[in-house]
Amino acid sequence: MKNYRCVFQGMFRILLASFLIFTIQISGLHAQADTSPTDGMRDNTPAVHALTNATIVTAPGNTIRDATLVIRDGVIEAVGRNARIPSDARVWDLEGKIIYPGFIDAYSQIGMQDPRVDLELGSRAWNPNIRSQLTAEGEFDHEDDGSDKLRAQGFTAALSVPPMGVFGGRADIINLNDGSVSDRVIRTGAAQSVSLQRDGSFGFVYPTSPIGVIAMIRQTLYDAEWHEKAHQAYKNNPSGLQRPEYNPALAALRDVVHGEQPLVFRANSDEEVLRAIRFKDEFSISPWVRGSGHEYRITDFLSENKVPLILPLAFPETPDVKSPEDALNVNLTDLRHWYLAPENPARLAAKNISFSFTTDQLEDKSDFIPNLRKAVDAGLSRQNALAALTINPARLLGIESTHGTIESGKKASFIITDGNIFDHGSRILSVWVEGHHHEIQPIPKTNPAGTWEVVSAHRGLNGVLEISEARPGSFSGTFTSGDEEVELKSVSVEDDSRRFRAGFDGSEAGFDGPVRLTASVSEDRLFGWADVAGMDRMEWSATRTSPAEEPEKEERKDPPARDLELADIRPNMEFGRESIPDQPRNLIVRNATIWTMGLDGILENADMIVQSGKVVEVGRDLRAPRNAVEIDAAGKHVTPGLIDAHLHSGVTGVNEIGNAITAEVRMADVLTVNNIWMYRQLAGGLTTAHVMHGSANPIGGQNVHIKMRWGALSHELLFEDAPKTVKFALGENPKRVGTNRYPETRMGVEQIIADRFRMARDYEARWQEWERNGSGIPPRRDLRLDAVLGILNGEILVQSHSYRQDEIVMLMRLAEEFGFTVTAFHHALEAYKVAPELVEHGAGAVVWSDWGGFKIEAYDNTNYNARLLHEAGVVTSLHSDNSQIAARMNWEAAKMVRTGVEPEVAMSMITSATAKLLGIDDRVGSLEPGKDADFVIWNGDPLSTFTKAEQTWIDGRKYFDLEEDAMLRETVEQERSQIIRKILEAN
Amino acid sequence: MNYAAKTLQKRFTSNFFRIMSRFSSFMIVMIAALLISKSAYAQIPAEPQTAPVALTGGTVHTLSDQGVVENGVILFENGVISDIGASLEIPDDAIVMDVSGRHIYPGLIDAWNNMGIFEIGAVTLTVDTNEQGDINPNVMVERAFNAESRHIGVARSAGVLTSVTTPNGGLISGQSAAMKMDGWSWDEMTLKSGAGLIVNWPNPVNQRNYNREVKKLRGVFADARAYHIARKAMDEGNTNRRHAFDSRWHAMIPVFEGEVPVVVNANEVRQIQDAITWAEEENVRLIILGGNDAHLVGGHLVEKDIPVILTTVLSSPFRWWESYDTSYELPAKLHEAGVLFAIAGSYGAANVNRLPFEAGAAAAFGLPVEEALKALTVHPAKILGLDDRIGTLEPGKDATLLITTGNPIEYSTQVEQVFVQGRMSDMMDMHRQFYEKYSEKVRQWEEQR
Repeated sequence: MKNYRCVFQGMFRILLASFLIFTIQISGLHAQADTSPTDGMRDNTPAVHALTNATIVTAPGNTIRDATLVIRDGVIEAVGRNARIPSDARVWDLEGKIIYPGFIDAYSQIGMQDPRVDLELGSRAWNPNIRSQLTAEGEFDHEDDGSDKLRAQGFTAALSVPPMGVFGGRADIINLNDGSVSDRVIRTGAAQSVSLQRDGSFGFVYPTSPIGVIAMIRQTLYDAEWHEKAHQAYKNNPSGLQRPEYNPALAALRDVVHGEQPLVFRANSDEEVLRAIRFKDEFSISPWVRGSGHEYRITDFLSENKVPLILPLAFPETPDVKSPEDALNVNLTDLRHWYLAPENPARLAAKNISFSFTTDQLEDKSDFIPNLRKAVDAGLSRQNALAALTINPARLLGIESTHGTIESGKKASFIITDGNIFDHGSRILSVWVEGHHHEIQPIPKTNPAGTWEVVSAHRGLNGVLEISEARPGSFSGTFTSGDEEVELKSVSVEDDSRRFRAGFDGSEAGFDGPVRLTASVSEDRLFGWADVAGMDRMEWSATRTSPAEEPEKEERKDPPARDLELADIRPNMEFGRESIPDQPRNLIVRNATIWTMGLDGILENADMIVQSGKVVEVGRDLRAPRNAVEIDAAGKHVTPGLIDAHLHSGVTGVNEIGNAITAEVRMADVLTVNNIWMYRQLAGGLTTAHVMHGSANPIGGQNVHIKMRWGALSHELLFEDAPKTVKFALGENPKRVGTNRYPETRMGVEQIIADRFRMARDYEARWQEWERNGSGIPPRRDLRLDAVLGILNGEILVQSHSYRQDEIVMLMRLAEEFGFTVTAFHHALEAYKVAPELVEHGAGAVVWSDWGGFKIEAYDNTNYNARLLHEAGVVTSLHSDNSQIAARMNWEAAKMVRTGVEPEVAMSMITSATAKLLGIDDRVGSLEPGKDADFVIWNGDPLSTFTKAEQTWIDGRKYFDLEEDAMLRETVEQERSQIIRKILEAN
Repeated sequence: MNYAAKTLQKRFTSNFFRIMSRFSSFMIVMIAALLISKSAYAQIPAEPQTAPVALTGGTVHTLSDQGVVENGVILFENGVISDIGASLEIPDDAIVMDVSGRHIYPGLIDAWNNMGIFEIGAVTLTVDTNEQGDINPNVMVERAFNAESRHIGVARSAGVLTSVTTPNGGLISGQSAAMKMDGWSWDEMTLKSGAGLIVNWPNPVNQRNYNREVKKLRGVFADARAYHIARKAMDEGNTNRRHAFDSRWHAMIPVFEGEVPVVVNANEVRQIQDAITWAEEENVRLIILGGNDAHLVGGHLVEKDIPVILTTVLSSPFRWWESYDTSYELPAKLHEAGVLFAIAGSYGAANVNRLPFEAGAAAAFGLPVEEALKALTVHPAKILGLDDRIGTLEPGKDATLLITTGNPIEYSTQVEQVFVQGRMSDMMDMHRQFYEKYSEKVRQWEEQR
């Protein structure tokens, strides 16, 4: 009874105090605000508080019990067990409560809820996506800025990041009080922000794709360097010079390109994290990365390439496995991510990678604390978790001298909880932001539970009320008068007014209708009155004779045990592998029919020796090197690894359509290993692919040669030292993009290509002039024209999409005019019509075995295209342009045999001839000494319909093996089943 | 000299035919016959068979109980096979062709195609596959079949002599027809009209939408059945009420009378199973089209005797977790389960030449070679009720056959000549014609160099 009363009164005091503070705080601490004149009465409420009897976690790993925290004017004055309570302080008894340093959100969009789309006034960059001149504090809108939602999760400060465009603007650190941002800016200029994805808000504007976005970031960083130099040059000696453009967006990036201001990337996948970090290879920037929750996939890379990481705690929705049919449609990729996402922070911490947390990516911010606890349940230490919310972001954001810990002199930003914040069921009761108190979880002060003796002048109302609290805030009870016990209906409490209400069916207790009770609760007394059906008003009172027992805290169902041992595989999906396959020092393949695709032709009953990833010898009866791994391939065929000259899988976005000429974009920037097709293509013997830009542009982006190194990181797929190539596109596709984009005819296609060629020559001349004189305004480096110039100078090989003969001839004539050679025409359905012209120009052809009829320019297709081209002397290759076809290129070549092509020639169209047209024939395409050991072992003639690949080797490593595949299938089934079981258990 | 005449002059010296003639002197004779009897212009329909033809010396793969007849004779008259055997009495007036070293197979059947109603994908006015609206049981593909389609000649060259041209779209797309790949116009090319009523089973991923769509389908069949009953009552004089003609429901009467099967496009396991139960309730003859998940419900298909037309063999699975060869292996699994199935092309009229290789992929991944071939001949004929005319080589059936250098599902095999109901078809097609024409350009260029 005594104890109960004490708690009751204590709570009451806190409530009262917080109520007072809440209403007056704005003036109380606001008084220190600086320049605004005072309106009305001054508010001089003291801001001195002593929080006593608390457990104080001053910093991760440092806890003081029974301690006092003294704050004065928003600053911590003292903290500790022996901290003196100032005589002018308001005292808060925090018996049983815990104080933590206030959390810091290292990447939020606080105050950015309604960003401006148009930036019509003032000077600015050419593209609405370049908005680096904007600042978070300048754009901040404090109406409904979202502070309350972050405070409710324990946050007291946040980095506010402008959300729009590619270069979004400057991120500033803002505290999470309410009201004008002027009083809330902790530090400006913490970082400049950048996104790796396009912003759809601006409509049909370059960049329209991730490739274009990366190209724009690259160009803009160069532009920022140029802007500084150009203005310096002009300032030094303006006489006789044209004034360079004033571009505040580029000026704002000055510190970024000098590495003096961080650039914070918004990365939405593990690949985007890699893309962000790879900018360090080219620029001396200092990147921060807001991750996506997939970082566990690349912990090895991140531990070797440390950058500040900011992690969201948004976990994927539970995959839908409700019915067996639904389960059938769920990928292991999604199942794995569902299971592993909560482990993301723990897995990073295990590799000693430090990070900060953010509420970003959470649609509902109130998921933050529950998800934080899930992350802790999944193995993250509480200390690391707290660090990621306090000292890590404080250091990252450069506010560690004022924020991040509870120490005297620091800002009074902290959290009060009723239990360990990482324990399920603990609640954040209040948050103090730089001395301002914000109540989060009101503690009810009015508790009617217990046994009450009711006294009334009305005889029928004399009796006993039994009130119990079923769940916090939910009451039920009975009223007993004499022998009659009736159930109370709608028992309720209005906490702030301390009012109690209940009712019962009076007819059972001798009343003439429903009885409604109402009373003012004054500790253990009820002062009430009642009516019967709106009449017969009568007074009553009651005294609590015994309190009810404390309601039991809800038992939390234990989450399903995290006991699955999912191997760390790459890619983190079905058929992923734990490591790159071994490379035997020596290897011999014996007794095979070897299609060398070199001068030796097809050798029967032959051997091949491979050393450290290179072919050393091919011939009959070879002597195996010592300790060689031996493969008996009797009855089998061996061919070079197949090469696909034209593929679009394994990239994030294929076309940059925001401009007719996009030679600056690079497919290498957007490779992704999270691509099931790569495994399927390996299974079909594909070892190398030329991954191409799409066909939306007369001059499109730069393509990339990759090897199908399943299990590697995206940049490890790159075919080393392959020549640069660029995609051109002629005919229907480039002229039907958008409604207003030039060109709209084949005539325009020719003209815009020619125009850019001339522009590139002028650009070259400008640079040559500058290099000769070195005076005046330096020319701007233009990555697009750099690439076009590379084309003209033969450094970048042209691989042109085409259909009709007229356009094929057009580009050859144009190239001849400008003095270069088109390397190959792709698709080229009508190449057969201009075979002599191709031979004379020296262009190759990369065509389909059989594809046509899908559009008017594809109507004159013939399956004899490749045959005629070959017969006329054109170097001819086949391509897939299709992820599935790329998984069975041997059958594409086989179709050529049906049209009358010799088998070896047909094979060359997916190996040696292809390598030649891609400029990689020094490395791949044939099995000859010195070539890469990229080969396929087939269970029969590779051009037969009855044949399949058994093993696929790249760099002398076995990346695919039918036997291993059988085991992987089993693993895939097992893992799916285990995780599905977890989902079913969790629900 | 016009192009055709010039081609005629050059033909025997052209590269293409040099290669072709390597295989057989017989071919020269036959092609000469073709060229003399007709113009050299591509894709000219052959005239109906007038004299009996005896192909001698070849290996006849009957795909019937007769099995393989080595060094056999196949004799056909008026478009119909009269006899097959090791030694036959050949009528005096027969044209005898020595096909020693060659193989004779039944013509291949593409059980799902848009031949004749699809010409150029992106040119929508040349595409007649999808009629407006959801319920089109009354549209009949053969009525829109373009006999001039370029793709027909290519089909013949690939050995595909029957295309089951199938409409698309909506809930009920219309009725398919089995079309012969030679002839002057659709009426003479139609082997069977009403080969199937095409139903696209609703997508089950959104459960609510699925239920609504299935209900709609049931409603359509209930209405059509009510019409059938009412019209029957009227026609048989059991009522004096008149029931006006409803084109849609009238077209479905043959379905209720068991003459036309319902071909239900269903891939996912729910679609297949729900369609089987539905068809049983409706008492209609069901064929599953698509059938990606058919291997999961093989028992159900076998018990209810439901055949499947596979349309995605030469492809990769839709689900990432499925093994890379799931689609290639599907026919072998169905074969083991005892399901009757056909393999159809996945790529439509413009790429009909790929049909044999669909079966080839199945053979590479476990389906016995003979079964793979049957999935293009015997089985589709049986499933679609064409087996009285085609599918095997048997006396009484159509002389719709191939003369090849080997198994038509093997890539290296050349289809040298085809007969469609006894017509000796022109083996020139647009692909070959372009090859011919531009080989001439190369020749002229080489000559001038």
